[in-house]
Parts: sequence; structure tokens; C-alpha cells
Amino acid sequence: MQRTQTPSARIRRLSLVFAVLLALGAIAPVYSAVSAQEQTEVRLTGWTASPEEDSLLVQVIADFEAKFPEIKVKYEPVPAEYPTKLQTDLAAGTVADVFYVDSLLAPDLMTNDVLLPLDDLMASGGVKTEDFYPGLIQAFQNDGTTYGLPKDFSTLAMVYDQDALTAAGVAAAPTTWDELRDAAQKLKDEFGSPRIVIPADIARYLAFHYAAGASVLNEDGTEIVLNSEEAATALDFYYGLYRDELATTPADSGAEWPGDALAKDLGDIVFEGNWVFPFLKTNAPDLKFGIAEMPAGPVATATLAFTVCYCIFNDTEVPEQAWELVNFLTGPEGMGKWTSLGLAMPARPGLSAAWLAQYPEREPFLLGGEYAKPWQLGPGGQRFMEDANGEMQNLFAGGQDVATTLANMQTRAEESIKLGQ
Amino acid sequence: MATASLPRQRRSRNPIVAEDRIAGWVFLIPSLIVFTGFIFGPVIYAFWLSLRDYQLINPSKAHFIGLDNYRTLLSNRDFHVALRNTIWYTIGVVPAQTAIGLVLAVLANRKIRGRSFFRTAFYFPSISSSVVISIIFLWIYSSNGLLNFLLRSIGLPTPRPVWLSNPNGMIGMALGWVGIDSVTPWLAGPSIAMLSIMMLNIWTTTGTMMVIFLAGLQDVPGDVYEAASLDGASRVRMFRDITVPLLKPVIFFVVTLGLIGSFQVFDQIWVMSEGGPAKTTTTVAYLIYVEAFEQGKGLGYASALSVVLFAIIIGLFLIQRRFAGSNT
Repeated sequence: MQRTQTPSARIRRLSLVFAVLLALGAIAPVYSAVSAQEQTEVRLTGWTASPEEDSLLVQVIADFEAKFPEIKVKYEPVPAEYPTKLQTDLAAGTVADVFYVDSLLAPDLMTNDVLLPLDDLMASGGVKTEDFYPGLIQAFQNDGTTYGLPKDFSTLAMVYDQDALTAAGVAAAPTTWDELRDAAQKLKDEFGSPRIVIPADIARYLAFHYAAGASVLNEDGTEIVLNSEEAATALDFYYGLYRDELATTPADSGAEWPGDALAKDLGDIVFEGNWVFPFLKTNAPDLKFGIAEMPAGPVATATLAFTVCYCIFNDTEVPEQAWELVNFLTGPEGMGKWTSLGLAMPARPGLSAAWLAQYPEREPFLLGGEYAKPWQLGPGGQRFMEDANGEMQNLFAGGQDVATTLANMQTRAEESIKLGQ
Repeated sequence: MATASLPRQRRSRNPIVAEDRIAGWVFLIPSLIVFTGFIFGPVIYAFWLSLRDYQLINPSKAHFIGLDNYRTLLSNRDFHVALRNTIWYTIGVVPAQTAIGLVLAVLANRKIRGRSFFRTAFYFPSISSSVVISIIFLWIYSSNGLLNFLLRSIGLPTPRPVWLSNPNGMIGMALGWVGIDSVTPWLAGPSIAMLSIMMLNIWTTTGTMMVIFLAGLQDVPGDVYEAASLDGASRVRMFRDITVPLLKPVIFFVVTLGLIGSFQVFDQIWVMSEGGPAKTTTTVAYLIYVEAFEQGKGLGYASALSVVLFAIIIGLFLIQRRFAGSNT
């Protein structure tokens, strides 16, 4: 700064500098615009549950790029709040060309014209819907149109601490509700506290709901039939375990989620999906755990199937290249490699034998695939889930009884779920 | 203000004044751009959005629907629940943070040893990251956390479900103990989970209020106290009849800040309870987020909620100003 300048001259000079800087700031983005590339870029986004999962997907993408050198995949994983991020990206028009959609959210997207219909692309690529488990691909179909191909799936099964069950005198894993309650009592007698861990969450409760013969929608999906006598039996059994202090919730046990309770030895029996494996491997490497199918209810053995698909954005500029990517990732080669980590199971029946050969002890999860109901409740399902969980939390706190809970859930479902005509 | 009253022709006649004016505007531009772009613009835009059906999933379908969002809101159960939770929260937090802040300020204003230590210690929670504090309180409130450990070690029962998972209303529970069952939801009171978050927020905001009161106390002339003590007034009497009346403008300011803060509480809830259990910690500000971004009724409806929240806060401010009198 020059001492000879008058203050006002200095201000004038400074303001000129400022104005120039501001003007430069406006121009700057132009310089960062990149020149056109020879390769076509396809953006891919999804959530990531673990570093193992992340690095495996990167490997599968590398295989794809080796096979299709003219396509460059830009993988943009989202670490948290995926549905929120996806929706804001859709609103801003900056969504990736290919993205994950889970079965619960799919109906909302399918009915809003944001997903590219895949039928023509599938026909030209020789991909048939029969190549996938019907229950899984149906989760991504609406009015006879397919909007996504399932990348994999998971089911709920019973995961238990082998040594704890033996110590409590439970010879074999419980196979029915009665045996489960009996085992819960023996575990409590042995360890002095409830050892089954169940959350107040319909994403777990519904497996019991279906096992009692209850449903959410009627056969043709035109009516909500959540509140029924069968449902009362199911909810009374599920909540009864907690009420009678034979079970605890993750929060009450001091865990983040049931798998965490198992890892920290805060519980011995949980009902979770294949995603527990990498978690238990990292957090409880010495735990000797067993896996069994869900205990049979009064009417059936039931479980839930959680599946995620690859969808293509309706307004993508590179539909052919995006389809090549989806077709590879959900094809025998890509899906075979992706599911070889054992995190999730192949959505193609043709790949299940190879998967089972690699992970024989995980058979109960695969068996569940044959009778599992998809984790899907129609458009508005995500909102209903929040309401229903609130009702379950009130029930668990003793604020209302089973009948009121089911009646309220029925009302909430009628308000939130948009039924087919 | 003074330049605005200058005669019009003087502006152009005097080149130095004109130059200064230009320089003034140039220096104002950055903050004006920020203010317009990030505060004033979005506020106007939110008003406009509140008249539209706007879903994030498909903004191209957005269209004008007049006052429909406001009609929906009036009869919407989630909004009623959120309003109820926010009111209970405010009733619990504002008086507590004001009263404790005032007492702490008076104590920290006395000439005692380690005064600056106490001032810093009480103020510290206010300047810490709310997310970090929320996570620490998650541990304190957890099943095997510090709070349950203390309660167990003195033989007291702990709630089941655990603190932040317990939707039971405090007043409803108290009435249940004396044999009155099934009170209406409006009278059930804040849930145990909400109470847990209220305790945390009283603890963190009290420090800010204390600092504001401390500043106010510096303006209370010492000779008033001297005169009072010569007349034989007790400390309690001096606090009641000198400190509180002279601090009235500051109390008004603190209560206003508290009301606004309470009606906007969001981050602690987002970190600690996500509006649960059973929506008993869903405040209006949190509901705005849920409706906008988590499969709710869309951005238009959420904007209508925020306009209503704005109106409520302004209304409360005006009512409070009337009660506080014109001298403030």
C-alpha cells in the first residue's frame, strides 16, 4: 500500500480491484468446462454399505470397461441419505444415467415417468424376464412395463449364536414359533436377560405377519387388508416376546441394530439378511454363528426379499451405453462376479447353484428366496413404513394394545398407499 | 440515513460524495449478492413454491394449485402432531433456559475466584458443534450409557423402552400413576424421548443466554445496589426488585431468541431421534424436511409449512412485544 495515497483514492483503487475480481469470478466457470472426450461417459450411482462392497463393484466396472473400451463409467457412490440425494438429483436434472432403486421406492419412481422403460432394449439384447426370479423382477414392473433389472437380493433368516444356544440347552435351532418362544425362555433362564433382539420395525415384523397367513393387500392389489385376525395373532406373538421380556430391542440392548447386538454379545437370536456377514466378520470374527430359515408360523414359513435394481434415467443422453452397462452388471458375468463376495444372492436362478457351492452354509437365505414376499408396499410405501413403525413404537412402549395398533396401521395404509385400479 | 435527506442536486454536484457513494455500493455488492441469493431470494421463492404442487421426483409435473397446500396442512395429522411437539418443546425449554441463564449470569457476575473459568465452562456447550454434542448425548442416553448407569447405581428404575426410543408422554404417565388413564394426545405432554432432547438443548443454550445477560448486567449501575444495601435489602430482594426490572429489555431479547430457536429446532432431532419414536420428536422444522425430502408431500407443501412456521414465529413475537410493554 502506498502511503502517499489519500484514503478516498485508496478506496477507489480497492473497489476497482474488487470489481475486477468479481467479474473474473463470473467468467471462471467457463475455463473449467472440459473438452469433449472420445469415450462416452456413463454415470453410475448407488449407495455403498461397506468398503468391501465398494471395491468389488469397482472391479466389476473395470471388467465392463475392458469389454466395452468405448464406454467410460463414472462411479459416484453415495455414502448416506441415498433416497434424499436421488430425489434432489432428479429435481435438479443432474441424476446419474444409471442408478440403484430399491424395491420399496420403485413404485413411486415407476409411476412418475423418470425411469426409462427397458422392454425394447431387453428384446434387442436377448434378455428375458424369465432369466430372473419372478418375485424380484416384478418389483420393478408396472402395468406390464419393466423399468429395472434386479442386481441381487437378500432375504431374512434367523442368525443365532451357536454356543449360547448350546449353553442354554437348546439342542437345535427353533423351527416354529412355539420352539422360538421356548428357546427364548431357556436363553433368558440361562443368561438372566432377554436374548432375542427384534426391532419395532415392520421391515422385520412383516415376515411374521405373512407367516400367520395375514397380508397387506388383497389378491389383486385393490384393497388394504392389513388388519385381520391372523395379523393380530402375528403381532401378538412378535410384540409378546418383548412384552414378556423374552426379547429386547436393539436400542434397549444398547446396540445400533440387531446384527450389532449379536456382534457385541447383547443378544443371541436375530432375524436379519445376508448383509450381516461382512459386519460379523469384521466386528465379531470369533463368533460361532448358525443360520436357519425363519421359524414357521401357524400358517406358513415366510420371509421378506429385499432387492435393488439398476434403472436408467428417462432423459439420459446415452441410453444405449447405459443399457450396455445395466445389461453387463445384471448379466451372468457381471452378476456372477458381483455376488461372488457373498454379500447378496444372484437374482438369476441360473447362478444360484454356483453361489451355493461357494457358500453352502448360507443356504437358508437362498431357500427363503423361493417363498419370500418382496419388501414392497406400492406407491406411498415408504411413507406408510414411517407411520407403521410409529405405531409399532407406541405398541412396544405400552401406549396402545395390539388391536389399536393394527387398526391404526390399516388407517395409515389406506391414507398413504395408492392402490391400483 | 443522513445522505438520504440531502437535496437531490447536491449528489451530482459534489464529485467526492458521488465517488464515495459508488465506492460504498461496490463494497456492499458482495454482501448484497449473498443476501439476495441465499436469503431474500429463497424466501420469496418459498412463498411462490407454497402455491404449487412440486414433487422432487418429477419437477416437470409441478403446477399452480393456489391455497391447496394450506388447506391440506390445516387438516393434516402430522402437522398437528408436529405443532403439538413444538409447543411442548417451547414451553419446556424457553422458561428454563431464560431462568437458568439469568441465575448463572448473576452468579458469574459476582467477584468470586475462578469467575472466568465458570463463565467459559457455562458458555462452552453453546459454541460446540450441535452434532458432536448430540452424538455424545446419544451415548449418555443409550441403554448402557451414563444416565442409566447413574440411575441404576442409586437403585432407581430406568425406562423401557430406553430414553430416546420411548414415546410415552410425561404428563400422561404422571396422570396414569394417580389412576387417570387415556388422556387426549394434546395433554399427554412431551414424550420421554422429547424430554431427553429438551434437557440437552436447555444445557447447550443456557450458556448463550448467560452471556447476553452478563452483557446486560454491565449496564446496571452499581450505586443502585449500594443504595439498596444501605437500606438493608437482602440479596434476593435486590435480585427481584433491581436486577430483574432493569434487565427487562434483555429478558425480552433472550425470550425472543429462545422462541425463535425453539420453533426452529432441527439438527439435534435429526441426529438423535429422526423425529421418532412414534413421531413424538417430530417438530415443525423437522417435518418440513421430511415432507420435502423423504417421500413426503413434496417441496410445495413443505414450503407452505415453512410459511406457516414463519407466521407463527412473527405472531408470537408480536404478542410477546405487546406483553413486554412499549418501553422495550
